[in-house]
Amino acid sequence: MAEWNAYYQNEDEYVDRDEFEVDYKCAGRDSLVFLVDASKEMFIRGEDGEPSPFDMTMQCVHSVYTSKIISSDKDLVALVFYGTEQSKNPRNTFEHVYVYHDLDSPGARRVKDVDGLRGENGAQVADETMGSGKTNLVEALWCCSNLYSDVKLRLSYKRLMIFTCRDTPHRGDCERDRQARTKAGDLKETVVPLWHLPGGFDVSLFFCDVVSPPEDESELGLQMEPCGKLEDLRKRVRAKEMKKRSMARLNLCLGEGMNVAVGVYITVRQTKKPNAVKLYRDNNEPVHTKTRLYHTQTGSLLLPSDTKRAQVYAGRQIVMEKDEVDVIKKFSDPGLELIGFKPMERLKLHHHLRSALFIYPEEETVTGSACVFTALLRRCSERNVFALCKYTQIRNSSPRFLALVPQREELDEGQAQIEAPGFHGIFLPYADDIRNLDAPQLPTASDAQVDKMKEIVHKLSFKYRSDAFENPVLQQHYRYLEALALDPMAPEHIEEHIEDHTVPKVKMIDQCLGSLAQEFKDLVFTLASGKLGKEQYTEEAGGAEKKPKVEMSEDELRARVQKGTLQFGVKVTGTKKRELIDTLKAQLAK
Amino acid sequence: MIDFPLCRRLGWHQCVATLMSKVEINMTALVLCLDVGFSMSNSATGQEPPFQQAKKVIQKFVQRQVFAENKDELGLVLFGSDNTKNNLAKDDQYQNISVHRHLMIPNFELLEEIQNDVQPGSQQADWLDALVVCMDLLQNETLGKKYERLNIVMLTDLNTPSSPDQLDIIIGNLKRAGITLQFFLPFPVDGGGSNPPHGGKALSREQQQGLEMTKKVMMSLDEEDGLEEVYTFSDAIEKLSVFKRVEKRPMAWPCTLTIGSSLSIKIVGYKAVCEERPRKSWSVVDAQTHQKDDIKRDVVYCLNDDEETEVQKDDTIQGYRYGSDIVPFSKVDQDQMKYKTDGKSFAVLGFTKQSMINRHQFVGTQVLKVFAPKDDEHAGVALSGLIRALDDLKMVAVVRYVYARNGNPQVGAAFPCIKEKYECLVYVQLPFMEDLRQYSFPSLENNKKYTPSEDQLSAVDSLIDSMMLVEEDGEKKDLFKVNHIPNPQYQRLFQCLHHRAVNPSVPLPPMDPWLTTALQRPLAVATRCQAPLETLKKKFPLKEVVKKKELKTSKELFGNSTEEPDAKKAKVDEEEDFNLADITEGSITQVGSVDPARDFRTLIRQKSLPFGEVCQQLTGRIEQLLGNKNMNYYIKCIPCIQTFREQSVQVGNADHYNSYIQSLKTSIPVRGLQEFWDMLVQDALTLINKDEVEGSTFSSHDAKQFLTAGEKKEEVVAAVVDDTGDVDDLLDMM
Repeated sequence: MAEWNAYYQNEDEYVDRDEFEVDYKCAGRDSLVFLVDASKEMFIRGEDGEPSPFDMTMQCVHSVYTSKIISSDKDLVALVFYGTEQSKNPRNTFEHVYVYHDLDSPGARRVKDVDGLRGENGAQVADETMGSGKTNLVEALWCCSNLYSDVKLRLSYKRLMIFTCRDTPHRGDCERDRQARTKAGDLKETVVPLWHLPGGFDVSLFFCDVVSPPEDESELGLQMEPCGKLEDLRKRVRAKEMKKRSMARLNLCLGEGMNVAVGVYITVRQTKKPNAVKLYRDNNEPVHTKTRLYHTQTGSLLLPSDTKRAQVYAGRQIVMEKDEVDVIKKFSDPGLELIGFKPMERLKLHHHLRSALFIYPEEETVTGSACVFTALLRRCSERNVFALCKYTQIRNSSPRFLALVPQREELDEGQAQIEAPGFHGIFLPYADDIRNLDAPQLPTASDAQVDKMKEIVHKLSFKYRSDAFENPVLQQHYRYLEALALDPMAPEHIEEHIEDHTVPKVKMIDQCLGSLAQEFKDLVFTLASGKLGKEQYTEEAGGAEKKPKVEMSEDELRARVQKGTLQFGVKVTGTKKRELIDTLKAQLAK
Repeated sequence: MIDFPLCRRLGWHQCVATLMSKVEINMTALVLCLDVGFSMSNSATGQEPPFQQAKKVIQKFVQRQVFAENKDELGLVLFGSDNTKNNLAKDDQYQNISVHRHLMIPNFELLEEIQNDVQPGSQQADWLDALVVCMDLLQNETLGKKYERLNIVMLTDLNTPSSPDQLDIIIGNLKRAGITLQFFLPFPVDGGGSNPPHGGKALSREQQQGLEMTKKVMMSLDEEDGLEEVYTFSDAIEKLSVFKRVEKRPMAWPCTLTIGSSLSIKIVGYKAVCEERPRKSWSVVDAQTHQKDDIKRDVVYCLNDDEETEVQKDDTIQGYRYGSDIVPFSKVDQDQMKYKTDGKSFAVLGFTKQSMINRHQFVGTQVLKVFAPKDDEHAGVALSGLIRALDDLKMVAVVRYVYARNGNPQVGAAFPCIKEKYECLVYVQLPFMEDLRQYSFPSLENNKKYTPSEDQLSAVDSLIDSMMLVEEDGEKKDLFKVNHIPNPQYQRLFQCLHHRAVNPSVPLPPMDPWLTTALQRPLAVATRCQAPLETLKKKFPLKEVVKKKELKTSKELFGNSTEEPDAKKAKVDEEEDFNLADITEGSITQVGSVDPARDFRTLIRQKSLPFGEVCQQLTGRIEQLLGNKNMNYYIKCIPCIQTFREQSVQVGNADHYNSYIQSLKTSIPVRGLQEFWDMLVQDALTLINKDEVEGSTFSSHDAKQFLTAGEKKEEVVAAVVDDTGDVDDLLDMM
C-alpha cells in the first residue's frame, strides 16, 4: 500500500498533492448495513420521557448518514428492518424483512427518509409502512448478505450492525436460534459488531453467538456491554462505523537490523469544505479536466521530456531536470528512525505544526512487532519519556522529526475504548519554522487582580470535549445542499436551523459574571494611572475594529520611525499602504 | 499633502504609526572580513585548513542571503592578501588589505568570485587594521541611507601580531556608529587555558594575545552576551542559526480578547510557529530554450464517457456533492450559503482544565502568541491577570478565533505562558467534531500474546537509558535539538540551486556531509546504545511475514466464506475478478476504456463478435490512449499491445496485429511517440513471424529488424515533418 501511495505521489508533476491523502480508489468502498429491530418493544418510550429504542436508533442512523456525506460520501449504507409485518426486499423472498434503503451511497432523499422515522411521527410512519410482526433473524441476516452480493462495486470493508432491545428475538425457539447462529456464522467474515439497546439486556442468552468474534481476542468483552444512552450509542457507532485505514505501513527502525513494522494512522484531521465539481450544463453530469502542455510558437503538444524546471534568484535563472527536482527531495527511504529518547517536559506545548499521527504495530507484517512495541510503549509511558524519530513518509519526501508520545489504552466505565494504545506522532519544528518575536515589556498583574480574574475563570469553567463543537461552516454548507437537493427552489431560512456553538453565549456569560467584570476592570484601573483611554475597557465586545488612541510627539515618532519600532494595531487596507508610505516619507523628509 | 480619507480619519500620527507597523525597514549592511593570510592555510594533519573552513562559512552565508532575496547589502574585505586596495592605504599603512567588493546586494557573481577568485594569500595583515578598513567602508557607503543594522563579520585565526594601542579608540568608534561585531575563529573562545584546543595544537602567542583582544572588544560592546557572538568555523557550518536570522518580520494581528460583552482586552497576536515554506516554486520551461513563455498549459473539460468527449468551459456549471446527489449551484446560491462572520474575533467561550485538552488533537498549521499591545499598560495588566490566573489554576481559555471578516471560525485553546522576560497566551486550534476519527484499536497490554516479560522490559529499559538525549544529571544538555536544525529540505535545495547556478552543466553535488550527520543519531548515543540494542535483538525475535498478498486481499474484498470448497471458491474469485472494474456495465460487450486488454481478452474468448471487429475496437482504444501523450497512458497501452499480440498468436491470425504495428511505426515520428516506441522496443513487441503464426508474411529475422531498423530512419523523418498528426489519419490507414 505504501508503494501505491508513493507512486501516486509522483504522478502529478505540477501540483503538490496532499501528503496525507489516503488512496481510497484502490482500496474499494466501505459498506455498512443497519439491521434494526422493528418489533413493538422497540417503540416503547423510556421511563423518564426517554426516547424509544427505535427513535434512538433512527437518530443514530441519521447522524451516520450525514457524517458519511461529509467525511466519506463514496461509502455505501443500507437500512434494513426485521420483525416487520410488511416485507420488502429485492426478490421478496424473505418474510418480515423490510429493506428500507438498499446498499448505496447516502443522499439527500435518504437523509430525509430517516429523518421522517424519528420521533412520535416517525413511529407512526414506521407503523404505517412496515408495521410490527414476526421475528425471523435468519431471514434478515440472509437478506443482508444478499445485499452485499448484489452490489457491483468493489467492497473493501463490510459491517453489519444490529440494533435491538430484545435479548431473545425468537422467544426461546431453539431451532430458529440455531439457524440464526449458523447464518451469522456464515456471515462472520463480514458481519461485525452488534449494538444493542437498554434494559437488562442479557447478551449471553442469544446474541453473544451471533456477534462475530472481535478482530482480536483481547477485544472480547469490550463492546459486549449493552449501552442504553443515545450519546454512548452514537459514540460507539461512530467508532466502529469507519474502517481504520493506515496511510502508510513503515518500519520503525530502533537500530541496525531491528525493524518493527508499524502502521501510520490519522485520527484527527481538518475536514474542509469540498471543492465544487464542474458539471456539463445540458445534463448536470460531472466533467473531468485534462491538462496538456503546448509549445506557444509551434503549437505542438509537449511531452514531459520536452520541459524542464526553473527558478529565478538574484536575476539568474537556474534550470534543472524534473528528475533532479524530485531527487533533491530524497534523503532516506520511507520509514521511522529512532534517534533517542527525551523526558516529556522537553516536548514544548507550542511546538506544533500539523495534526499528529497515530502509530500502531503491524504484527501481520513482522511477527514480534506488537511485543516490542508494547514493551516500548509501556516503559516510555512509565518513565515519562518520548521517543524522538526521524520520519520519512514516502519516497522523495524530506524528513521531519516526530516526538512519539506514548498513549496507553483507556477505557470508560462501559469498557469502551476512549484512548487507543499506541504512540502519537507529534511533528516538531525546524529552526526555520520558529519565528523570533519581540515581546513587549509590560507591567504584570498584582495578586488582587489575578485573584479577581480567577473568580471569573471559575464562573465560566466548563468541561471541554473535543467532539463538542461542530464546524458551523461545514454544517451550514451541507444543510444548504440537503435543502437544495430536495427542493431546487431553495428554502431561504436555512440558517435558523444551525446552532453555532462557536459563538459565545454573551448574555449567559454576562449573567454568570454579574459584577465580577466591573470589579476586575476597577482593579486594573485604580492600580494603574488611568490617563490612557479608559474607554477601551468599557467598549462593547467586538470593538476590535475601533481605533486605538495614541499620542506621540513628532520627535519621538521620528526616532521610532528611524528605528522601525512603531507598532500599533490599526486596520489598513492593502491598497492604501503604498500611499501611506509615500506620505510618511514626504512628511519626514521636511 | 495628506489628502486621502484614511489619514484624515486617523490623524497623521496614527497614520505614520500604522505604517511603521506594516513597513519592514530592517535593512542590514554587513561586511565580511576574511583573513586570507598564509597562516590560515596551516592546519594540523588530516584537518581542513582554517582558510577552507572560513571560505565555506562565507559561501554558505552569502548563499543564504542570495536565496533570501532581501535588500540587505554586503561587502567583502580580504586581509593578508597579496594586493592592497582600500581607501586608507597610505605609505606602509593598511597594506595587504583589499576591499574585494563594496556594499551591494549579494548575487551569484559574488558567489562565483568567492568560489574562483578568493584564494589564500602569502602575506599577513593585522586584523585590527582590517577591522578599521571595514568600519570605514561601512561608514562611507551607508551615508545618506537608513539601515537597521550595521554588522562586521570577522573570520580569522588571529595569528598576526596586532597593536593593541588603538583598541579603545576602535571600540569607541564601533559603539558610536552602532556597528555590531561577530567573530568566527578556528578554535573556541573559552577553550583556551591549560588544555590545548583545536586538534591538540596549542595557540600561538599571537593567537592568545589576539583572543584576549577579541574578548575585550566583544565584552565592551555587550557586557553580558558579547562572547556569544564569537563562534567556531565548524559551529557556523553546521548551524546556520548562529547567523543573525534573515527573516520576515512577523505580522501583527491586532484584536480584542472578549469575555462576555463587558470585558475586553486589547491584544496583538503573532505567528510563533508555522511551517516555513519555500518562497518560490518551480516553473515549467521549455527544455531547449529555457523559456517559460514558450509553454502554454491548456485545460480541457471532458465528459465521463468512453470517448471522453470534450466540452466547452462555457458549457459547464458548478455543483457540489451531497453524498450521491450532485447539486448544481449558482453564484447566488454560493454567496447565500456561505457562512458569514462579522469580523475578527478572539472571544472566550469558557475556561477548562488544561488536562482536558489533548495535545495530540491539536489541529491547524500554526501557533499564535498573544500579547497586549506595546505601550498599552492597562491591556498588559489585564492580560497578565488572565495569564497568571490560568497558570495558577492549570486552566486554558477556549476561544472562538476568526482571523478576518468572513474568515472561517475556529475553536482553539489559549494556554498561559509565563517566561522570565514576558508573558503571553499561546493559541492553538482544536478540532471540530467532523475532524475526529474515533478509531478503536485492539488492546495491546491486555493481550497475552503481546505481553512482554520482565526480562524483555528491562532490555527496553537499558535501551532507553543508553539512548537518552538529555543527560539527567548536571547541566541537562540536549544532544539533539530539532528546533536548532535548519530544515534540511531547503539546505539541500539551496545547495543544489547554488551549485547549478554557478556550474550550469555539472551534475548536482552529493549532500553536504554535515547535513547528513545533523539528521542522524548523535555519535555518542549511537556508540552507547550498541550493546543494549544487541540484547534487545536477542530478547525480541522479529520475523518478516512473507505472505501471498493477492490471496489476502481477495479474501478481504469478497469476504468469501472459508468453509466453501477451494474449487468453488476459485471459480467465484475468477468471476469476481471480471466483475471488479465493471462499474458501469454488467457484462462486456465492447472494449471499454477502463481495462481494454481485459475486455479484449474476454471478447475474444466469448467469440460474440468477429475477431477483426474486436481488434479494431482495441486499436481504437490504444489510439485514444496514445492521444494523451503521457507516460501513464503509454504504460496502459503496453499491456493492450501485449494482449493483442498474445491473442493474435493464440487465434492464429497475425494480419490485424501486424498491419497495426506497421502503421503505428510509420506514424511514430509524425506523432512524436518516440518514447512510446522505445517502450515497445524494450518489451520486444515486434511483428508476429511465420514461426508463430503460419499466415504471417514475416520471417523471425524480419521481425527483429523491424524494431531496430526504424530507429535510424525516424530522425530523418522527424526533421522533415513538423506536425502533431492526427488519430484519424492512422485509423484511415488501417
